[in-house]
Amino acid sequence: MKKAISLLLAALMCVLFLSGCQGATITPENPQETQPAEPQKPADNEPEKGPVEIMVVTSYGGDDGNRANYEAAFRAYEAASGNIVKDASATSNEEWKARVMTDFQTGSEPDVLFYFNGVDSNALIEGGKVVSIDEIRAEYPEYASNMKDGMLGASPVDGKNYSVPVNGYWEGLYVNLKVLKDCGVAVPGPDYTWEQFLADCETIKSKGYTPIACSLQEVPHYWFEFCIYNHGSAANHGQLPETSSDEVGQKWAAGLNDIKTLYEKGYFPVNTLTATDPETFQLMADNQAAFAIDGSWKIGWFQANAADINDFTVVFVPGMGDRAATDIIGGLSMGYYITRKAWDDPVKREACVEFVMAMTTDEVVSTFGATAVTALKNGTTPPAETDALINAALAMTKGATGVVGAVQDSLNPNARGEMFSQIKNIVTGAVTAEEVIDSVLAIK
Amino acid sequence: MNSTIYKRKFPLIIFLVPAFLFMAVFLYYPFIMNIINSISNISDLGAPANGMNQPWYQNYIRMFEDPLMATAVKNTLILMGATIVFQVGTALLLALLVDRIRKGSQFFRTVYFFPIVISATALGLLFNLVFLYNGGMLNQLRAAFGAAQYIDWKGEAHFMFTMLAPVMWQYVGFYFVIIVTGLNNISTEVYEAAELDGACCLKRVRYITLPLLRNVLCTCLVLAVTGALKVFDLPWVMMGAGIPMDKSWLTGTYMYNQTFLRHDVDYSSAIAIVIVVLGVVISKIANTVFKEKDY
Repeated sequence: MKKAISLLLAALMCVLFLSGCQGATITPENPQETQPAEPQKPADNEPEKGPVEIMVVTSYGGDDGNRANYEAAFRAYEAASGNIVKDASATSNEEWKARVMTDFQTGSEPDVLFYFNGVDSNALIEGGKVVSIDEIRAEYPEYASNMKDGMLGASPVDGKNYSVPVNGYWEGLYVNLKVLKDCGVAVPGPDYTWEQFLADCETIKSKGYTPIACSLQEVPHYWFEFCIYNHGSAANHGQLPETSSDEVGQKWAAGLNDIKTLYEKGYFPVNTLTATDPETFQLMADNQAAFAIDGSWKIGWFQANAADINDFTVVFVPGMGDRAATDIIGGLSMGYYITRKAWDDPVKREACVEFVMAMTTDEVVSTFGATAVTALKNGTTPPAETDALINAALAMTKGATGVVGAVQDSLNPNARGEMFSQIKNIVTGAVTAEEVIDSVLAIK
Repeated sequence: MNSTIYKRKFPLIIFLVPAFLFMAVFLYYPFIMNIINSISNISDLGAPANGMNQPWYQNYIRMFEDPLMATAVKNTLILMGATIVFQVGTALLLALLVDRIRKGSQFFRTVYFFPIVISATALGLLFNLVFLYNGGMLNQLRAAFGAAQYIDWKGEAHFMFTMLAPVMWQYVGFYFVIIVTGLNNISTEVYEAAELDGACCLKRVRYITLPLLRNVLCTCLVLAVTGALKVFDLPWVMMGAGIPMDKSWLTGTYMYNQTFLRHDVDYSSAIAIVIVVLGVVISKIANTVFKEKDY
């Protein structure tokens, strides 16, 4: 009897212990083999359901410029629908991307995900982890109907649309007006050239300021992008090289060597090879540095950290050759996905669709402003309350003559990581730009 | 009665099963999967394996050719040596000093142990402010004393000190408490007898305290050596991706970087295997060298 009770207890403990492991899914080798469960439509006489809780992951975390707008939008959705949004947003970086992918692999993905629509999302599409807009529209025809389908950001895997974008992004040259004034340097205009930029950097350096706030060891991404762009044009910037010796490869090498020149001339912070990105950006807030290239998401950082936002503006990055300064990097690189897991859940399906539709109305998208890059059929309405930096950003994007996506987004994460980790070695002469390009291209 | 309990093995086995299952699911299964991953071709985090590597041991060859892996192993061994000298050594010194005082010993025990209860991430952020280039505590102090130029504490000349000092500081309290407990177990009669024989303070330490602390010190040294292999969080927060110029990698930080930043899953799995092998071998050596003695 005692043995039987012991066995029963042990079996119970094992069952309780293992019950915590259920629910994990395995990435299918062939997504076609995975048959999604048929959602059960509620019967007419079914009692009214309580609030639905949906898990949402976005990149509107940390100091993202649109954090407050995002929060206001999902709170409004909660109030209107009675549903509950469990927000697990964070700042977008490689670790965040890895966490998102790991969540999908372990079956703990969110219900709605705001994520990249380029190669970064290939694994989600290939694994059948997210639902296409066509499939959603078969049941909800109004889904994303206020957007231009051609600008939604089709997946590189199958050319289908999966995500609904909100605001477009842009990258520009943030300028500390106070430093420029002290150095007697004019604010860069739309015809600003690379030669003028180098001359201005020299003047700024001679006055004891740091010309460029950038951590080459951590975030050289923006300088990489524009320095390469400067050796091409909006028409061919998206091309990847086959080798370092082909035309595109030579363009990349020239761009990387431009960064080296900037480093050798001492235009970056003294500790650019050991400092973090926040450390170097602090030089901007402390009025010790003049220029920094970053994206639209950085506006929030300036609003939070600048003693006076009127001391800052954002302008076109200096141009060279076929690239006019007004040719910018930008686009619609992210959007809302509904995960397969949520779509197959009859309780969550409608809540997720309503959530994405609520977060992508013309009104909500317009609040995410500071850009004229949008997929909205009707365009955005300028926000009512703006500051000098937002106005400058709107003026910049409206004056853009060419908008192309970042070419680095076409590299796989490992290749991209290798490229950016090697820039410190390029600028110090430990390796050549050509060697790095070839080693990056070798990573498949 | 005892004999009755231990003769009946069945109930013991029944109650060991859940713990064994826990270990099997969360340790042995992942470890076996890790071995398989290290010889598989995995293109990205979350992506399924695309067959085996050609040849299957490709990642292990790459590891021997990877200069950054060599840096990581070298730095981990340096950290291990520093741990023995500075963590256990400093803890022993502090314990001997605190053991000599009558008043306030409890205060010092609390003070020295306190860093252990602070999370490594918080400590990392704190020390980042201490070593910051612009406006960091050390550079401000130097400037106050007339230094004309800031020191880049994370630069090539000082990075090892910057990385190791907080790690050493954090764990001194842990070994300090263990050694103080060991000192308390030494009978005061032995010291009194030595005093009557005319032994001075240093001789008492040399001929009484250290020999009688041998087993405690051996335990501390084994813990320190094996613990050094697992140090990750503080160096990661402070030195990130191998600052400066890929010179500060440790085996743990390098593996993390390869997995979550580079998404090179199969290579990082191979690194994980090497870390485990290194841990087992070094633990065995440490246990042999610092073998406890029965008195």
